[in-house]
Amino acid sequence: MGKATVIPFGPQHPVLPEPLHLDLVVEDEKVIEAIPQIGFIHRGLEKLVETRDYNQFIYVAERICGICAFGHSMGYAETVERLMGIEIPDRAKMLRVIWHELSRIHSHILWMGLAADAFGFESLFMHCWRLRERVLDLFEATTGGRVIFSVVRVGGVNRDITDEQLKQFVDVLDGIKGEYKEICDTFLTDRSVKNRTVGVGHISYDDALALSMVGPFVRASGVKQDVRMLRNDGYAFLDGFEPVIDPQGDCYARVKVRALEVLQSIDIIEELIRKLVPGEIAVTVKGNPADGAEACNVLEQPRGECYYYARGNGTKNLARMRMRTPTSQNLAGMTTALAGCDLADVNMIVLTIDPCISCTER
Amino acid sequence: MALEAKFMEMGAGDILRCAQEHKAAGWRFVQLLCTNTDDGIDVQYSYMKDQLIENWTVKGVSKEDHLPSITGEFLAAFVFENESHDLFGVQIDNIAIDFGGRFYDLAMAEPMTVISPEQKAAREKAAKIAAAKAAKEKQAAAGAPAGADADLEAKLAGMDPEKAAKVRAAMAAKAKKEVAEKAASADAELEAKLAGMDPEKAAKVRAAMEAKKARAAAQETEGKGE
Repeated sequence: MGKATVIPFGPQHPVLPEPLHLDLVVEDEKVIEAIPQIGFIHRGLEKLVETRDYNQFIYVAERICGICAFGHSMGYAETVERLMGIEIPDRAKMLRVIWHELSRIHSHILWMGLAADAFGFESLFMHCWRLRERVLDLFEATTGGRVIFSVVRVGGVNRDITDEQLKQFVDVLDGIKGEYKEICDTFLTDRSVKNRTVGVGHISYDDALALSMVGPFVRASGVKQDVRMLRNDGYAFLDGFEPVIDPQGDCYARVKVRALEVLQSIDIIEELIRKLVPGEIAVTVKGNPADGAEACNVLEQPRGECYYYARGNGTKNLARMRMRTPTSQNLAGMTTALAGCDLADVNMIVLTIDPCISCTER
Repeated sequence: MALEAKFMEMGAGDILRCAQEHKAAGWRFVQLLCTNTDDGIDVQYSYMKDQLIENWTVKGVSKEDHLPSITGEFLAAFVFENESHDLFGVQIDNIAIDFGGRFYDLAMAEPMTVISPEQKAAREKAAKIAAAKAAKEKQAAAGAPAGADADLEAKLAGMDPEKAAKVRAAMAAKAKKEVAEKAASADAELEAKLAGMDPEKAAKVRAAMEAKKARAAAQETEGKGE
């Protein structure tokens, strides 16, 4: 056994899209311990609820992250609606889920491209991102935005999706599905992908539970945990929901779970389009959240469960708003997955957790 | 199976026991959050099992208090415990991965405890509204006539003091003007009556009125002299 050496990894590193720092304690080529550090870009967005009213803050919530933008605005709006006892129209609930699942598709395909880039499969990276462009085109056609959508509001949504656009949704998703299955097949069967992912960064079922992990990270250890199973709000209109899980607990299982979740999201969108009810898309919201009133909510973001909390103070501003993002919950799991791995596998393990430092540094 | 949330309170001494009990019963740790209030920091621990989220709050934690870390039970809490220390100044002992106040790279210490002018104004307004509501309820409970004056006073109590003083001054000026206008219109009516009377009789009435005024003035002067 060699001498223990501490290797700083990040915050500026070619494989890291965002600033995450790891102190890797290594002996020879084995990582003995990994200590993560964030905090380089903390923005204090939660503090802004004191200066933005509860309607304005939705635009702040959306800017927490460029990938989970829709999910954050939806999660925030649902939490304030719980706080104020607002029941939104069924059509608005369904439209939110359609956009949110579309957001999951673009997030997962983006991630798959990054993963392919990390293990040196450049053409796969390009195919993933080419496909993602078509998903972003759907966002642009229906919301006007590709990254920030500003389509959710407290009480419903700002825009409807026309029948013509819904048809476009179905056509584009059908087209994507065929091409995506080919990409998916490469991810799940190609030898070079398996060489880098199978048996790497293993987390057992028991560890996943003990570390309170969330999202595809926990589901890839065989834990059936997905808050969409609770069938909250728009998810109540689905006939059923079974999360995608894989018991292997390694990087390959995480790739597999995300890859299959894209197909699941396409199915959810198609089911909701078939069931979409006509009617209003928003209700008028009057008054302020009561002083001392509290509400919390959970939403399955692409990277995992996000917890939202709001407390009112009788004015148009909230006393406290909290978004506990999936990455902050998965950091403990990441340190566990890194302990004992080869130094060369650190990038794959970090990437397959899909950390979002923007979300974490809200 | 929709989401169900419960909010409960506990003492600082129950934090560790609560974490141990939840872990033993198969709950998972969801998050830890702090809220800055007038009475100190409210520290909230959330645990989830199936569709139920339990939020346990320790109210009014001061910066001198030391809370136990729950990272021995739930390692995932280390992020939130370090965050609570850096952003709110909450002292937490024995964190499994303790960054010693360097978890976030901050421009100022404990930024979430700084009360912004907007937050202060919002708190004052909320306090005034609550005071006005309480005053109104008290008045209603005491059986006092809930007339327009009572409503107005309740409204004034909930307003900004400077603004309320201006409203009161404007109301007093209006009342004074109304009294003066009433007196002027009474004089005009009397003059019209006297003009329609026999001139001799009118002269007698005028003399009697002047004498009455003189007597009243003399009485007022005597009263002041005493």
